Amino acid sequence: MKILIAIGSKEFSKPTLNLGMKVAQAFNAKTTIIDVGEKISEFSSQLVELAQDQMESWDFDPPGVDVLEWAFNYLSENNLIDVTQLETGFPKNRLIEDGEDRKMVYLSGTVCEDVNLILRNGDIISELRDEVQYGKYDVTILGKSRKRNMSHDLLQYINSSVLIVNNYDNQKFDKILLPLNDANGMMKVAKYAIRVAMALDVGIDIFTVINKKSLNQERSYIIKKVIKLIRRSGVQFTNEEKEGEVVDQIIKKADKNKIIVMKASNMSPIKRYFKGSVPLSVMNESDVPILIVK
Amino acid sequence: MLGFSNISLSNFLFWATQKKWFIYAIFIGFILTLLPTPNGLSVEGKTSIVILFVSLILIIKEPIPLPAIAIFILISQIYGGVDNVDGIAKSFMSDAVFFIMGSLMLAVVIIRQGWDSRIALGILKITGNKTSGIALGFLSISAILASFIGEHTVAAIMLPIGMTLIRFTSSDISKVKNLSAAILFSIAYGCLIGSVGTPSGGGRNVIMINYLNQSDISISYFEWMIKTYPFIFLQIPIVNWVIIKTFKPEYKILDSSIRKLVIKVARSRSITGRNTLTVFIFFLIFLGWIFFSEKFGLGTIALTGVFLYLLGGFVKWSDLNRNTHWGVIILFGATISLGTSIRSTGAAMWLADQILYFFGALIESVPFFSEVVVVLMTTGMSNVLSSSATVAVLGPITLNLVPNMLDIGLLTAMASSFSYFTAVAAPACTIVYSSGMVKAKDFIRIGFRVGLVSIVLLIMYVNIFWPLIK
Repeated sequence: MKILIAIGSKEFSKPTLNLGMKVAQAFNAKTTIIDVGEKISEFSSQLVELAQDQMESWDFDPPGVDVLEWAFNYLSENNLIDVTQLETGFPKNRLIEDGEDRKMVYLSGTVCEDVNLILRNGDIISELRDEVQYGKYDVTILGKSRKRNMSHDLLQYINSSVLIVNNYDNQKFDKILLPLNDANGMMKVAKYAIRVAMALDVGIDIFTVINKKSLNQERSYIIKKVIKLIRRSGVQFTNEEKEGEVVDQIIKKADKNKIIVMKASNMSPIKRYFKGSVPLSVMNESDVPILIVK
Repeated sequence: MLGFSNISLSNFLFWATQKKWFIYAIFIGFILTLLPTPNGLSVEGKTSIVILFVSLILIIKEPIPLPAIAIFILISQIYGGVDNVDGIAKSFMSDAVFFIMGSLMLAVVIIRQGWDSRIALGILKITGNKTSGIALGFLSISAILASFIGEHTVAAIMLPIGMTLIRFTSSDISKVKNLSAAILFSIAYGCLIGSVGTPSGGGRNVIMINYLNQSDISISYFEWMIKTYPFIFLQIPIVNWVIIKTFKPEYKILDSSIRKLVIKVARSRSITGRNTLTVFIFFLIFLGWIFFSEKFGLGTIALTGVFLYLLGGFVKWSDLNRNTHWGVIILFGATISLGTSIRSTGAAMWLADQILYFFGALIESVPFFSEVVVVLMTTGMSNVLSSSATVAVLGPITLNLVPNMLDIGLLTAMASSFSYFTAVAAPACTIVYSSGMVKAKDFIRIGFRVGLVSIVLLIMYVNIFWPLIK
């Protein structure tokens, strides 16, 4: 399992790193923390690099290093990385350019496999997509953006499951909400939900919204299998069915205290692009963290 | 769908999303091509205007790499029948392109020489310890240096000095936000202000000289300075005042920071004989620009300097190659070629006529109106495009607006330095912005004030000072 956690600033990325590392711990995943710096106009990019070289000679770090240093300190303070071999904190000198337009530093994890820190520059979606393709990540974790279309682009173009950390607070979340339908791949979603529930030590609310299109027989078969799986894992759960509009019901049920884990849409990318999808609507409208499993 | 997998469909959608501005631009270009050719405009002229429009969208939005935009401009001119291959190839390489290439390479040599520490000492000796004085020092030194060696070079040299002074004042940047903005904007705007002072201050000045030469108008390095340099001295105190009033620094005196900076500079490596020799070679280039640029061209002299630096082993070719953005050079070559086509096909004249027709009697009845139109148009474009690209595409049009080509050409070049409003248009602003110590909204906040003041000053300057020196 490989997890990519995208951070952006010291001010806003703490919840993302916090939840991201808990999930990484749950999956014992090889984890990479990435900061994607702002895209620089190609007109000035070379000159900016030249200026940054000059700044380094005056002991200034390139932009983004401070964010990685903050992440390093966070990991170190929470004993999430092994710092015994590092004498003087964040090893800036080990931040190496690896020829893929990115700088990275390798660290060894304690609660999960290796933790790498990566610095990239450019358009966030494009850079994350490249990184996911390059590193073959299973889950990408990042904070919710105010940018229009960001959620859509993440779901549409990032080729991994996506966890959007929205309003995450350690104390507030006491349940995982697992909306089910009759689509293929629900068992994988259930497995993800169980892992996250175990990591956060919370229960799972299985939730099915009934509408006319659903095939009752198929649905009840899936629910039975999911319940069996969750029961075997030892995680506390409830099971509820409700009639109504799917997105509204899920958001209502999630309230402000549940982390949603749901399956990505099975629609073709073209249909999804023009029509949207249930997971996208839930992601846009909910105020809680949401993991969309692909 | 049609046998395509979901992944390939997703890849296609991603490509289309990333390149949407390319798709829009081509679509708009296609629609414009289908429109009938207006009276008084040749088919080649219309095609060149369509290519100009499409290119502007591509340059502003950068949906494809800059070299790809350059190639698009070149091949679309040939396929569109604007000119033949030889004609386009000939207009692609000019002294202006030589100069841009040379100045980007000279920047690499100069930045590496360790002059920054000496400059830091120089500023502090002149300005004393008052924050407003220090900001004035940064603004003045940046302006004067940028007028000779180019804004991007000076911004790269000055930025670490300014940042070090800020860091020595407080390690917590949030406590010295205004001080940071005051110092860093003094550097960025100083570079922009200075860049109009001499032809070597920026590629756009050389592009304008190139266009003037095509119209058989010649201006020497010294004549350019006489016309433009006083404007720098006029702008410096006023812009300094605006900056200090906009960002009231948290500290009025920077005594201890200055002392720490002086100690840091004293500990830095000392200037060697080779460093001095690089200054000497640059001085020779400068003399060449003053005395021989009319005969050999500014670009040729800049490249001679690069040759001398390579010959003397002052810089390695690998270093120059790595730090020179060839895509930018190719793009400027292509935009200049397009500008030349716009002029030679009569499209520039037609566009200028449309502007005159649009404003009609206002241009004749309202004093300085044509100057105001040129300044506003150039300022507007130079804040979304690079200033050199602005002059490359606007130059041929503005030169046809009024009979006095030299004055309107200089005015266009000067107004193209007013890229105060955004962090992305001028390299000096982008370099300062990349420090992370100033925000994009700061550029808007100060940019409007400095921009407005500069526009008014420039209109007054060209109408009061230039008639006096004629």
